Amino acid sequence: MRRSIRIELLAILAECRKTIRIWFSYPIMIVFWAIFPLLWVMPYVFQGRALVGGATSESFRQLTGSGNYLAFVLIGAMISTFVFSALWGVGNSLREETYWGTMEYIIASPTHPLVILIGKTLAEWAWSSVMVLFQAVIIALFFGVQFTLAKVLPVLLIVVLLLVGFSGFAIAFAGFTLLIKEVHGWVHTLEWIFFLFSPIRYPVQVNPVTAVISTLIPLTWALVAIRSIILLNKAEVNLYQTVLILLVMDVVLLVTGYFLFVYLEKKTRRDGTVGMH
Amino acid sequence: MARLECINMQLVKRTTDRLCHYWAAVWAENIKEWKLELTYKADFARSLIDPVVYLLPYLLYGIALVGGRESESLRNLVGTADIITFITLGYVFIGFLNMALWAMGFSLRKEQFYGTLESVFAAPVPRWVFTMGMALHSILHQLLMIGVQIVFIILIFSIKINPIGLLPTLLIIALMLVALYGIGMFMASFTLIFKQGGLVSEALASILMILTPIAYPLAVLPVFMQKLALFVPTTYGILGTRHFLMGERIGFTLREAFVRLGMLSLLWVAFGLTVFWIIDRWTRRSGTLGHY
Repeated sequence: MRRSIRIELLAILAECRKTIRIWFSYPIMIVFWAIFPLLWVMPYVFQGRALVGGATSESFRQLTGSGNYLAFVLIGAMISTFVFSALWGVGNSLREETYWGTMEYIIASPTHPLVILIGKTLAEWAWSSVMVLFQAVIIALFFGVQFTLAKVLPVLLIVVLLLVGFSGFAIAFAGFTLLIKEVHGWVHTLEWIFFLFSPIRYPVQVNPVTAVISTLIPLTWALVAIRSIILLNKAEVNLYQTVLILLVMDVVLLVTGYFLFVYLEKKTRRDGTVGMH
Repeated sequence: MARLECINMQLVKRTTDRLCHYWAAVWAENIKEWKLELTYKADFARSLIDPVVYLLPYLLYGIALVGGRESESLRNLVGTADIITFITLGYVFIGFLNMALWAMGFSLRKEQFYGTLESVFAAPVPRWVFTMGMALHSILHQLLMIGVQIVFIILIFSIKINPIGLLPTLLIIALMLVALYGIGMFMASFTLIFKQGGLVSEALASILMILTPIAYPLAVLPVFMQKLALFVPTTYGILGTRHFLMGERIGFTLREAFVRLGMLSLLWVAFGLTVFWIIDRWTRRSGTLGHY
């Protein structure tokens, strides 16, 4: 039993190392992901300037408690990096293995594909954490958003809970990849569904439909709590409630993700479509 | 004299034959891309919903900022206060921008994945014909998506446009597409040299998304960005379209807009083709065409 766990851990480590080595084959990617997610919010900053004619919006304040729309979108960009990294890195990873022609080897190896996915997930966590750290430094230096230790610790707790839940979702999505193959576009759509139904770039309360649907997404709870802590200095108010909700969502997403992946992997194996494009 | 006429006739015939031959290749490439796309039906259906999902956060963000549909600040800047029509018309152009930045380069990358790039490049047509086929598929795809997007927005928000402006709008878009083809060729060459050219596309897309006045007028950009934006074909496409369809005030005359766009088209196409030709030659000489 101990030997078996050790072997699985070695496989996870090997996968982690392999994924990171592939990234380092394209070093420009590191610079890109540290800087560009922040550039993506610039159109929203200019849009804000054009529509309200200043750096704060009264309407925004009524919806979010803070009129500083710039800080709102920057925090959204930073935290969503974790989510999208999981979606692209883990959800889409088996599709990449198909492209590289290594998918059949993974399936045929005595290691369960889920173990491989855990390795990829850990690599993604490490990767996105470094990227977000870079972004936080840039935001603090150039945009005046303050991150004190008292704020960072509860934010970290929320981020970890968010990461765990989304990993479950990403693992389920990886199973979906095995089934429908061409998921590149689906990842894009999912990405934009998160943009639409969670407060990454705008306060979802502005529309009753988005306000209701957003409550089903862990990112919404995480972002509302993180912004309360960073922008409104309200660390203790909703933290317990948010942590509890995120914990419940994590359990649901991990369990569902696991069973869905196992089911879909078995199905594609049985149908003989693993190697298909 | 008769001999000269005969030579001329032969030249015209040969040119016409060659163009027909090229057109057949462009069309075949376009059909191939459609066939590939329609093989994944669910993915195709999704791609029709995408533009709406993409647009809504911009609109809802605008509504959250001003607390309604009309912005006084926007009226002061461009002479119109309707943020929904303003943003929707601007957003339509993201599709065209994506065509230039993604479609051609990504198509080449896919051919690499499928292991068919060398076979396609061995075909007896110039490379630009091959990429033009990809561009044609992408333009048709974008037009379909824009149609869905416009219908949805008209049904939900109702946008008000001036129908008389449709014809000049189509003209300015056609001219812009020529320039975007040049940018597309330039981007496709990155795929040949860097393989993971997607990152270059993403980087350039991020910069162009800021420079192009999609959801805001040029006036809110810092001065150096305003100047850079004048080298981007979509700037003229968007400003021209919004001027014709909703009366946006623009900082140049229409004649200037068409002349500059015409010049940009020539420059981008010449630049894109040249860079592609050089890199294509280099990758074949260095034997890295089939590398990942």
